[in-house]
Amino acid sequence: MSDTPVLEGNTKRQRYESLVAALYQDVFRYAFWICKNKHMAEDLVQETFLRAWRSLESLQNDKAAKAWLFTILRRENARQYERYRPELVDIDGQSIAERDDAEPDSKMDRELLHNAINRLESEYREPLLLQVVGGFSGKEIAEILDLNNNTVMTRLFRARSKLKVEFGIDAEGPE
Amino acid sequence: MDELEFRRRVYANPGDLEKEVLDAATANPDLQRILDESVAFEDSLAASIAGIEIPAGLDEKLRSLANESAAADIRATVSTLRAKKQSFYQYYAIAASLVLAVGIVFSLNFNAGPSSADVVFGEAVLDHLHHDISEINDITGGEVYAVLGLDEVNSNMVDAGARLANPNIEVRSAKPCEIIPAFQSTHLVLQGAEGAVSVILVNNSPVDVQFSIRDDRFEGIILPMASGNMILVGEQNEDLSQYASLFAENVEWTI
Repeated sequence: MSDTPVLEGNTKRQRYESLVAALYQDVFRYAFWICKNKHMAEDLVQETFLRAWRSLESLQNDKAAKAWLFTILRRENARQYERYRPELVDIDGQSIAERDDAEPDSKMDRELLHNAINRLESEYREPLLLQVVGGFSGKEIAEILDLNNNTVMTRLFRARSKLKVEFGIDAEGPE
Repeated sequence: MDELEFRRRVYANPGDLEKEVLDAATANPDLQRILDESVAFEDSLAASIAGIEIPAGLDEKLRSLANESAAADIRATVSTLRAKKQSFYQYYAIAASLVLAVGIVFSLNFNAGPSSADVVFGEAVLDHLHHDISEINDITGGEVYAVLGLDEVNSNMVDAGARLANPNIEVRSAKPCEIIPAFQSTHLVLQGAEGAVSVILVNNSPVDVQFSIRDDRFEGIILPMASGNMILVGEQNEDLSQYASLFAENVEWTI
């Protein structure tokens, strides 16, 4: 998952293109969930990859490419947007991809879950996204978020507990 | 394992459960129900989080960022070098008028190493060769391409702002190309001792210093000329010096 090497090729350009091909979708999903707006997410992803291109030589371990990109994206989001933007949330369900196999009830559930995730406090949402979108382990999430591993595991537990309570699924209330 | 501890471990990391957790579920139907619900919920959660529509063409935009960035870096470098050179000429003129009497001669030829933008340009050249490789592979593989006539070669060099003056140079392929946007070039391919030899002429001066480029297949050199750059690239161990002098003597810039 997170330790899959993605950079192939001899030249910087080839390595960069393999990075884009392998990871741009996950990077966009992560961007979308942390800034909650698809147009801002697209800008954020472009800025992230531009910075990645300019400093590709500094990526020493190809297996860490995804964590490296996610870290660039978080910093870029903090630097460019967090202080200056109002809270923007896409219209409910607008950005959920249509799936041919999705039953109406299934799509509705996904929209409800989508909105419930959006309502999670960022301290719970961020580790959850890194785990589900990025496929990172608790230890990797702890490094990315500069937290200790126990804190990360507690926040992951609470994030899922909150969502399950909201959906009426058997769950102990978050402590 | 009590129920709270079970929930803690399942909720925190449902995708990678330890044997102890799975054994606890097997031994206790209530815990098994919690586990089953968690697995189903996790599928919905993953589908919701992953089910974000990816903007069409985003991957293409991201790939083009590398071109745009490299071109911007090179333009900035060229602009800086030109400004420095212009500034230097102004000081040189003043200084020369003062020291002419004592016969001091200044050299205008700086032999600085390549800048980071030069290195980026070199990477772009090698990348271009790997993308524009069919004739190179054919010739290196032993296929014999007919020698092109001088008129045909020169018609493909118009955009690069150069022409070849010597009809005896055996060019096997000639076509316009664009290594970096806004820098029109022409790509000539010749038969060398080790395989194909590429001669690329660029109608501007993206780089102002001579430097070598290489990867695990190709070796080459980028040479600043009067009105543009000449790039020579061959397979490893190809002697490129003969081509450098041959083309330096027989290329006329028409910019």
